[in-house]
Amino acid sequence: MRRFLLSLILLATSSPAATQGLLDWSQDEVSAIERHGPWPPPPAHDPSNRVSGVPAAIALGEHLFNDPRLSADGRMSCATCHQAGRDWSDGRARGFGTADLDRRTPSLWNVGYAHWFGWDGAGDSLWAQSIRPILDRREMGGSAAEVGRLLRDDKALACGYERAFGNKVGDNDERLLVDAAKALAAFQATLVSPRTRFDAFRDAMVAGDRAAAARYTLPEQRGLRLFIGTGNCDTCHFGPRFTNGEFGDVGIAFFVRPGEVDSGRLGGLAKLAGNPFNLLGRYNDDASGASAQRTRHVQRLHANFGEFRVPSLRQVGRAAAYMHSGSLATLDEVVRHYSEVSPDRLHSDGTPLVRPLGLSPRQRTDLVAFLSSLDADAPPRPAPPPLCP
Amino acid sequence: MKILAALFALLFANAAWADCPLDLGKGTGWVVFSDHYMIAFRPEPMRIEVGQPFSLLFNVCTKSNSPAELLMVDATMPEHKHPMNYRPTIVAGTNGRYRADGLVFHMPGRWELSIDVRAGEESERLTHDFILK
Ligand code: HEC
Ligand code: HEC
Ligand SMILES: [Cu+2]
Repeated sequence: MRRFLLSLILLATSSPAATQGLLDWSQDEVSAIERHGPWPPPPAHDPSNRVSGVPAAIALGEHLFNDPRLSADGRMSCATCHQAGRDWSDGRARGFGTADLDRRTPSLWNVGYAHWFGWDGAGDSLWAQSIRPILDRREMGGSAAEVGRLLRDDKALACGYERAFGNKVGDNDERLLVDAAKALAAFQATLVSPRTRFDAFRDAMVAGDRAAAARYTLPEQRGLRLFIGTGNCDTCHFGPRFTNGEFGDVGIAFFVRPGEVDSGRLGGLAKLAGNPFNLLGRYNDDASGASAQRTRHVQRLHANFGEFRVPSLRQVGRAAAYMHSGSLATLDEVVRHYSEVSPDRLHSDGTPLVRPLGLSPRQRTDLVAFLSSLDADAPPRPAPPPLCP
Repeated sequence: MKILAALFALLFANAAWADCPLDLGKGTGWVVFSDHYMIAFRPEPMRIEVGQPFSLLFNVCTKSNSPAELLMVDATMPEHKHPMNYRPTIVAGTNGRYRADGLVFHMPGRWELSIDVRAGEESERLTHDFILK
């Protein structure tokens, strides 16, 4: 305590008024902080998608993403629900297509770095996950035949397809649906969230630049200390994206409506196994088989019932609501949930990872301050250039 | 260090152990042993990262020099009371060599690896702890 005070005083007298001071961080804490970076990571590459990272495919993907003709009634595009101006979500607690959906629309920031997709992880690749909304009746309600016809009949899209894939549009509709999804995936993988106040702090700590690190406010620092310390948050919210990419149960009610539950990961694994577009199927472009490791080895566990994917916390302060069901409205409510969660709410008798933290009001505001330091304004997005001018 | 010393003592005391090739190609790895078995293994890739699939390469030896079988490889986090979300598969090579594919340690912390081996009738479980950061 005294050392902390002393360093605070030293700092206060030696540096300009802008700095508030630095907590007395241990070496272990600095290592834990370091693991949440660097940011941004290198561009994502998906070996199961032969046009991953290909500029012409990224361009085609962006056009398709904004094209309502992929939907049955010609009125709904991916961008209807994943809006650039709303951090690639829709500003609603739960999605809405041709009917109410049961889950919140996730942001697409950094989605190229994930390995399971959707709240239940039913998708094992970004391209397979991009097929789902096209075919789902409650979403775009389209079909392979309609996607095939669109790619063949629209001159600009047909030309964009040829540039992206190196061959002319064929007449196999299912293959064209998959290729459209692969272009959509190539585009979505470029959506990388901006650097944040946290990243500046993390880099300064790693570099030993105390003056720069002290620009991170004391509430933010205290919240971070809770996050990597007593809160145990970083066992699940691990790494640069603040997620380990797997699944957990933090005690959120899973009733969709009376008598009907969202079984989360358990149902997701069943959908995965039954999906002809999964990575074990014939549309995986990775001949080595390495990209299918997780799909091949994943096992169904009793504890999967009521588990949902651990969400990334980058840009988390910008979400319209929280959790798979959108059932919590603010970050303060989320933190209150972790502070008060009753062990009886957990759906499996398993892990002691989530327990009521009993936070004081100041600790709660600190944790919210920290979580709010994980987002930043992204530069506005220019309209995509024409495909084949 | 203590393990190494014990290992050497063991190696010199038992001629059969001396034939057990512990090097799995990269010059590093771990060795676990019991009264009957000595098992050397290393991960591939060499560094285990949280959430990233990896394989383990094994060399299984028995004191009596009789052939041994690697039955199963699994891992749990004892403090968190949960298993891996993935089930490894085992591929047998020649001369006691095995490969387990599809392991993923999805959280930082302590993971306890269990290795089930059998030679003849008796099977046995050997364990090894990893601390993942
Ligand atoms: C009607 C609204 C709606 C439309 C239209 C829509 N989505 Fe989504 N999207 C959602 C919802 C809701 C989820 C969560 C689904 C789940 O967990 O089961 C989601 C999930 C996703 C995910 C998974 C994200 C993650 O973090 O795992 C991706 C990728 C995605 N959508 C891409 C697309 C693409 C590409 C299109 C257009 C082809 C599209 N979406 C159209 C609502 C929509
Ligand atoms: C056992 C793993 C685990 C631990 C530990 C954990 N979380 Fe979570 N977190 C999750 C999962 C899983 C969800 C999504 C749950 C759902 O949708 O039902 C989530 C959701 C969240 C969300 C909402 C994000 C969104 O986009 O909806 C925030 C914020 C959050 N956690 C912060 C924290 C904080 C702060 C801590 C520590 C006090 C923490 N988490 C500890 C697994 C965990
Ligand atoms: Cu664990």
